Amino acid sequence: MAARGHVQDPNDRRLRPIYDYLDNGNNKMAIQQADKLLKKHKDLHCAKVLKAIGLQRTGKQDEAFSLAQEVATLEPTDDNSLQALTILYREMHRPELVTKLYEAAVKKVPLSEEYHSHLFMAYARVGEYKKMQQAGMALYKIVPKNPYYFWSVMSLVMQAISAQDEKLAQTMFLPLAERMVEKMVKEEKIEAEAEVQLYFMILERLGKCVEALDMVRGPLGEKLTSELRSRENKCMMMYQRLQLWPECNALSYKLLLKNPDDWQFYLSYFDSLFHLMDKSWSQPEEGEHCVEGPVQTTVAEAVKFVVDRMEEQDLKESRPLRGPYLACLELIHRLRQRGCPDEKDLGDPLELMVQFFGKFGDKPCCITDLNIYLHLLPPEQRSQFKNRLGELVPLGEAGEDGFGFPGDTKALQRHLCVCQLSRALGLQHALDTEGKLRLITELKAHYHHGLQFGKSCLKTELQFSDMYCLMAAHVYIDLWTETGDENMLWQCLGVLEEGLSFSPSNAQFKLLLLLLFCRLGAFQPVVDLYSSLDAKHVQHDTIGYLLTRYAGSLGQFAAASQSCNFSLRFFHSNQKDTSEYIIQAYKYGAFEKIPEFIAFRTRLNQSLHFAQVRTERMLLDLYTEADVTSSLEESVKAMGVCPEEDDIPWDNMRDNRDLTVLVSWDPKDRELTEEHRRLSLEEESVWLKVRSLTLRLLASLALLGHAPSPRNSDKTNENGISAKSSTLQTLLSQLDQTLETAAQITEKQTQYPFLGPPSSRLASALSSGSCHCQVSALQLSLTLRELETTGLDDSSELQTQICNTFKSLVVQLQEMLSRCKGEVLEMKDSRLKTQPSLLETLVFFVETVCVVLWVASYSANVLRPLKSSLQKKKKKKKDINTAMPVVLCGFQEWTGSLQGIVTQALDHVKGQEASLTALKLAALTLEEGHSQTQEECGFTRAAMDKVQSSYLGSLQELGDLLRKRADSLIRLKI
Amino acid sequence: MTTLRAFTCDDLFKFNNINLDPLTETYGIPFYLQYLAHWPEYFIVAEAPGGELMGYIMGKAEGSVAREEWHGHVTALSVAPEFRRLGLAAKLMEMLEEISERKGGFFVDLFVRVSNQVAVNMYKQLGYSVYRTVIEYYSASNGEPDEDAYDMRKALSRDAERKSIIPIPHPVRPEDIE
Repeated sequence: MAARGHVQDPNDRRLRPIYDYLDNGNNKMAIQQADKLLKKHKDLHCAKVLKAIGLQRTGKQDEAFSLAQEVATLEPTDDNSLQALTILYREMHRPELVTKLYEAAVKKVPLSEEYHSHLFMAYARVGEYKKMQQAGMALYKIVPKNPYYFWSVMSLVMQAISAQDEKLAQTMFLPLAERMVEKMVKEEKIEAEAEVQLYFMILERLGKCVEALDMVRGPLGEKLTSELRSRENKCMMMYQRLQLWPECNALSYKLLLKNPDDWQFYLSYFDSLFHLMDKSWSQPEEGEHCVEGPVQTTVAEAVKFVVDRMEEQDLKESRPLRGPYLACLELIHRLRQRGCPDEKDLGDPLELMVQFFGKFGDKPCCITDLNIYLHLLPPEQRSQFKNRLGELVPLGEAGEDGFGFPGDTKALQRHLCVCQLSRALGLQHALDTEGKLRLITELKAHYHHGLQFGKSCLKTELQFSDMYCLMAAHVYIDLWTETGDENMLWQCLGVLEEGLSFSPSNAQFKLLLLLLFCRLGAFQPVVDLYSSLDAKHVQHDTIGYLLTRYAGSLGQFAAASQSCNFSLRFFHSNQKDTSEYIIQAYKYGAFEKIPEFIAFRTRLNQSLHFAQVRTERMLLDLYTEADVTSSLEESVKAMGVCPEEDDIPWDNMRDNRDLTVLVSWDPKDRELTEEHRRLSLEEESVWLKVRSLTLRLLASLALLGHAPSPRNSDKTNENGISAKSSTLQTLLSQLDQTLETAAQITEKQTQYPFLGPPSSRLASALSSGSCHCQVSALQLSLTLRELETTGLDDSSELQTQICNTFKSLVVQLQEMLSRCKGEVLEMKDSRLKTQPSLLETLVFFVETVCVVLWVASYSANVLRPLKSSLQKKKKKKKDINTAMPVVLCGFQEWTGSLQGIVTQALDHVKGQEASLTALKLAALTLEEGHSQTQEECGFTRAAMDKVQSSYLGSLQELGDLLRKRADSLIRLKI
Repeated sequence: MTTLRAFTCDDLFKFNNINLDPLTETYGIPFYLQYLAHWPEYFIVAEAPGGELMGYIMGKAEGSVAREEWHGHVTALSVAPEFRRLGLAAKLMEMLEEISERKGGFFVDLFVRVSNQVAVNMYKQLGYSVYRTVIEYYSASNGEPDEDAYDMRKALSRDAERKSIIPIPHPVRPEDIE
């Protein structure tokens, strides 16, 4: 931030040091300097604001705000104060105050272009479209510059876009915007390309496609020059909307002649062709076909067109383009869909694909290209196809192992492509276990052989043969999931770790390793893998789920917290960041980007992942901190959780996860489908609902504990209290409902592709019993609330009910704990066996213990005054024979049992730690020779060590948390 | 076989296969929005028929016309590993050059790591030459030394005498470039 303007102004000279201190982050000195200056010059308002900025940046928000308001109420009109206040308000996230500031300023200096334009931008920042429209016109009246006029027009368009009522948009805002532009057109005042763009946008939104078309083709359209093919693209868009198929066809044809590789125009060419055929459109007898030139209306013409394009490529000396060859396959696909027999004129798909492979088999994208058209092959041709391709791969003579190897990288790529295609055709999946093992051996041999071509590769480059390694890993995973043989998984980890050692930048190796470690319940190695991916910013939203899905559920609370923070930091900056560029888009006249930026901001705000990390982060804080370092109530207040408030956009949740980030060559029937995506989002949303309701219930419980006893309170207070318990009641019944939905969802037992989305924690949460136990515990707090009102006399039924819940909670916790029993890692018959689900269940158990203990602590708070008033009464009556009320005895018994359970759990954790530490993995003999080389065994061992140490880490964190929790049991005495 | 179109915000959610490359930087949202707001025509993405993003180019126009320094600049150019060796980068560069021609630029320039031989050679093939070396232009993380950049240029038709690309013999520091 630098002071601008007149160098001569003595105030600028005086303020300069403060600006410098602030710029250098020396806020303390800035404040001191401002104070010094203010002593001499009381009326130097800007110094006050700069001091406020310093205060704001040192965390003294309240002081900063009141200082700023002192100046703001004076309605300053000096540049320095206004700019400084703008900066301050922005840092305070109060952009609406900037509008007030400049509203006052333009009133005092009504002819200032600068202040009016600041006012417009201030409105833009907060999205006050109507006021923007007026501010734009006010500006234009002072200084008749076109941009100001069109700012106003654009603000009308924004009113249309944001209008709830589409009719209002169509009958009022957009027509008004149109008239405003038309006026300028008539007066021949249109100057810039941006203005034409905006005119087009308005006409398009009004559905006035004919007018839009005329405009683009007319003299105004000549201004559309920045973007390549801008006019053609716009015409094409309008032809399609108007269903002007002759024009659409002719234009596509023309553009394809110019660039026979541009895929979008093949699609529009075919689309329009078939529309024309369906309508039996015929050429007019005289004159031109249409404004865009010749139209093609028969399959024969289309076939000839595509064949000509292919021949053109065949004859070319430079590198051939893939477009025409794939267009040929696309046309066959479409003709087949229509049941049109003419497809044979194009040739046999098998032959065409073989030819394609002959031309492009050495390109890494050959698999991606052909994959789309594999369905054109009948199943019985699949093996034949693979064999035909094999003939086109030059391999050296087979060695002892029966494998022949490629002599260069092009041959390697061809061979690899055949492997990828045979996987995509389902041929690999059809192999039996023996066959798959042999395939793995072959893939690994090719992988190792191919490393020689990449000896000079830099660390940042991939090895040519990397994908063999990845495919070997995929086949290992097939074997693991089919047979349950965990050795396959260990070997898979070994081969990937080896791959990473030769190709340290391979993101696919890292992603798959990360996924496998997570599935194994070992989160520790994942942290480094993820950080080496260098995922940043928007990637936290798209692939952050890989991290956050597992960190907390595996008991790595510190790492979980950190992962959530990465993502949260990104989301929180979004609001501020995007507003800035919406304003820039006005300045540069990139009008079409404005709605796009707003939609983008909304998409991030409504992100599933955002809501998840927000919720999980707070739950994590409660589980690890509340009642350990501060009370539950203090924690809840510090987080600002309000039980009544639900800030998650349930109906508009956006799933921004990149679920295909892991490369897969699986056949179509095993690929991720739209249905999978829908189910995964549904499952994650329900789980999120469970978590967010739990969070709000805990907040509600915390605030319940704070309420004074109802008997000593007046009416209003009582209302307050009953409101609180009714919130709890409402939330509980919502949670009940959600759990019912959850049960229905888990019944479906949806299986996702291995490389697709991970399942949510929903199923394991339900089977662990944690959700229901937590509900009972929270329900108990309501019953206790009732007892608090009723008192100990005349409440024997209630007391019995409470005692029964005490007992039932103990039973439920015992059951949960028993589900955690077993060895998370053990050696059996010289094989390593894991049970990561035990870890997940243990985490649920610990979380539930936390919840029960918070309820216990609330119970103690309710019972303590009841007991003491009872003792007072007893003293008065000198009646020592009355028995202790049931609920008090029950509570004591309960806390004893809880103590017992926590101790048991701690013993269990200690036992697990001990047996894990005692496990000597080095003693494990890995079968060398047959399937794994010595090096691979080394990598497998390293992976095993990582898993073992990660389990230990999880257990330690869980043990630590339980121990801290155990301490809070002491405070439960009544 | 490629669809070339304007890059939009939604593409940011789909570009992982391109950006998980170690030499492709994922910038903060403001950076992308700034380019989209100011030079939308210079931000082009290539899309495969299956919908996968293949690669993108991001650029801008800057410099003083009076000093004959008005030019197109390549800020980022990246192609996903599986779509390499198709000439896609060359195609995207060609488009950026055409846009710069239309804007009346004198030349197009770009910065590249001196170690990135693959890229340097590609640019040379496309007609670019090293104009100067910029010392420690790329700041490195994890303790490795900062890396130098080549500032490479190609003259456009407006600079008929190709004055803009006459190499500067001495390396410059990052703070000395505009």
